[in-house]
Amino acid sequence: MEHMIDIVTVLMMGTSLAVFGLRQYKLSILAYSLQTLLLVTVFLLLHVKYGAHELLIWSATAFVMKVVFVPLYLLRLVKKLGVVVEDEPVGGFFISPVVALSFSLAIAMMFYKVFMHFSLFQDDLPLFAASFIFMMGIFGFVLRNSFIKQILAYCLFENGIHLSLALMAYNSHELVEVGILTDAIFAVIIMSILAKRFYTTYGSLDTSKAVNLRG
Amino acid sequence: MDSLVLILIVPFVFGAIMFMMPLQFKVLQNTHILLSVIVSAILLSAVGKVVEGNELSFFHHYLFLDSLGAIFLSLIAITGLLVNIYATTYMKWELEDGHISLKEVKNYFALSFIFTWTMSLSVICNNIAFMWAAIEATTLASVFLVAVKKDKKSTESGYKYIVLCSIGLAFALYATILLFSAGNGKVDGEAMLYTNLLAHAENIDGMALKLVFIFALIGFGTKAGLAPTHTWLPDVHAEGPAPTSALLSGVLLKCAMLGLIRYYAIVANGVGFDFVQTVMLVSATLTLFIASFFLIRQHNVKRMFAYHSIAHMGVIAFGLGVGGAIGLFAALFHCAAHSFTKALAFCSTGNIAKIYGTKDMSKMGGMIRIAPLTAVLFGIAICSLVGVPGFAIFVSEFLIFKAAAIDGQYLLMGIFALALAIIFIADFSHFFLATFGKVEGEVVHNSEMKLSENLPLIALAILIVTFGIWQFDSFTLLLNESVKTIMKQ
Repeated sequence: MEHMIDIVTVLMMGTSLAVFGLRQYKLSILAYSLQTLLLVTVFLLLHVKYGAHELLIWSATAFVMKVVFVPLYLLRLVKKLGVVVEDEPVGGFFISPVVALSFSLAIAMMFYKVFMHFSLFQDDLPLFAASFIFMMGIFGFVLRNSFIKQILAYCLFENGIHLSLALMAYNSHELVEVGILTDAIFAVIIMSILAKRFYTTYGSLDTSKAVNLRG
Repeated sequence: MDSLVLILIVPFVFGAIMFMMPLQFKVLQNTHILLSVIVSAILLSAVGKVVEGNELSFFHHYLFLDSLGAIFLSLIAITGLLVNIYATTYMKWELEDGHISLKEVKNYFALSFIFTWTMSLSVICNNIAFMWAAIEATTLASVFLVAVKKDKKSTESGYKYIVLCSIGLAFALYATILLFSAGNGKVDGEAMLYTNLLAHAENIDGMALKLVFIFALIGFGTKAGLAPTHTWLPDVHAEGPAPTSALLSGVLLKCAMLGLIRYYAIVANGVGFDFVQTVMLVSATLTLFIASFFLIRQHNVKRMFAYHSIAHMGVIAFGLGVGGAIGLFAALFHCAAHSFTKALAFCSTGNIAKIYGTKDMSKMGGMIRIAPLTAVLFGIAICSLVGVPGFAIFVSEFLIFKAAAIDGQYLLMGIFALALAIIFIADFSHFFLATFGKVEGEVVHNSEMKLSENLPLIALAILIVTFGIWQFDSFTLLLNESVKTIMKQ
């Protein structure tokens, strides 16, 4: 069981690099869906290992909302806009994943031991993965110029937080998870509406063109 | 029915009702004013109960209203009501000028109730995760109050707002999770509840609390406009409609600051006040000087006030940094003083934009002759913002000096005075540019607004002056009780 959880969380880290680095929107969204499916698997494994019944409900809600709804919504957005490949990120397609990967690994290395000290579940690799995925999301916002890639970056760091929540605070009231998840879903919907509007006004999803308000 | 239940339900229901209203401006206007009055009455009745000495709680203490929350709830009620009334006038002008459609006006009014609902929720949450969710929801509810139009600038401001605030608040969520797990088993009762965490803060690991506070400062500080993560604020406040800017600056920033103050209280009582005060002073000084530097360069009146918002968040942070009973009292008083002042400032920019058809102050001038009442109201806002005696903000800034002097922190007094002096010079030069002299650009509306249209602004001006010269016992009671809660006295 121990190894199973570790293997799945390592796979989650791999998929976060895929979400970040894949140039085709469709593939990137599918990688996100796969990552969330792995997250659901971690919830189920933690439930089996520790008998945490709360995580059974969490896995069901996460499956419906994040494995199915969010990817479908984003795929529909990409299809509607007729975009296929993302705009050139900061530092280019090769440099930006390398920068994100190395810095995320370093920062996760720093933080996971602190989290480990207070975590309800003392699983070191999943805690490390949670911090890593969170940081990959943050770097996604900083380094990727495409609006849709930034929405996916939001989804990434939300997955990192969701995993942290399961490891560190699974026994909090069920409404806590519902509240956080609802916020995340609404954020994705609102960002998607803005992305559509952005594409209409700028003729592109490249957010580096948004420079009208400097000063 | 319980006051907290009403707060939980009514603004949301009113938002839904507004969405379903017919597309007739008069109906929308009157309904918006009527429902806003009802919401404010509900909020103020809850505040009144706290003033009488009751602490309200509901749903296993997940929702509560203490004296600290009551201060901020009263700001939502009073500032929110006056700005919402002014919004009906502003939207009428926008509609007449063809800048906005009737459907967009209806959506705007409906969303402003949802926005009020999320802000009220953030104030009454005892569960720190709910509080985080409510503060994040304030961003989601207000994005389309900012990005009302569908042009490039409006879209860009909406994009920057949601992206930067979401990133910032993600750190606050980490702070929430870490605080819960560090407090789990160390506090009596549920470790998600602010009251439990505060009551047993000394049992929680000190290193964890320090990390929690840094994360909370990044998270809630981003939303509150503290440097260096303030960059969304000038763009968003400058680009949104005047009433939206007034609500964001006058109320929303304070709700985020309340989130930070709650973490400040827990961490200060866990690891001692020195740590949180030092961190707040660093953040405040950085914020004050960055804001004053950019303030001097601004000619766009709304952008100038946006940098002012950042500067005054720095003042609140400075009050928390100086600390002690007087410093905390001053910081909380400043929240109210700045709320009224900035609401008046941004609403008067609505009048000014109507007169000149521009927000560029270098193209204004002679406002005192064209619209004397607007010029006086604008002047009152400026006088309060720079801390002229007799206006609300002077009280809190004076108290911060007093707190620093009592503590013998003369260097801090010097830093604070220098920052305020820069703000003073920048503001008055801009004020004279717009108000006196000859008109540099064109005048689109060559007369004063109707008295009825200026009434909410006059009410805000009266509040600014009365809070500057008068002590309201009930409000002082709330402030004193809040200080005692934070210091656990």
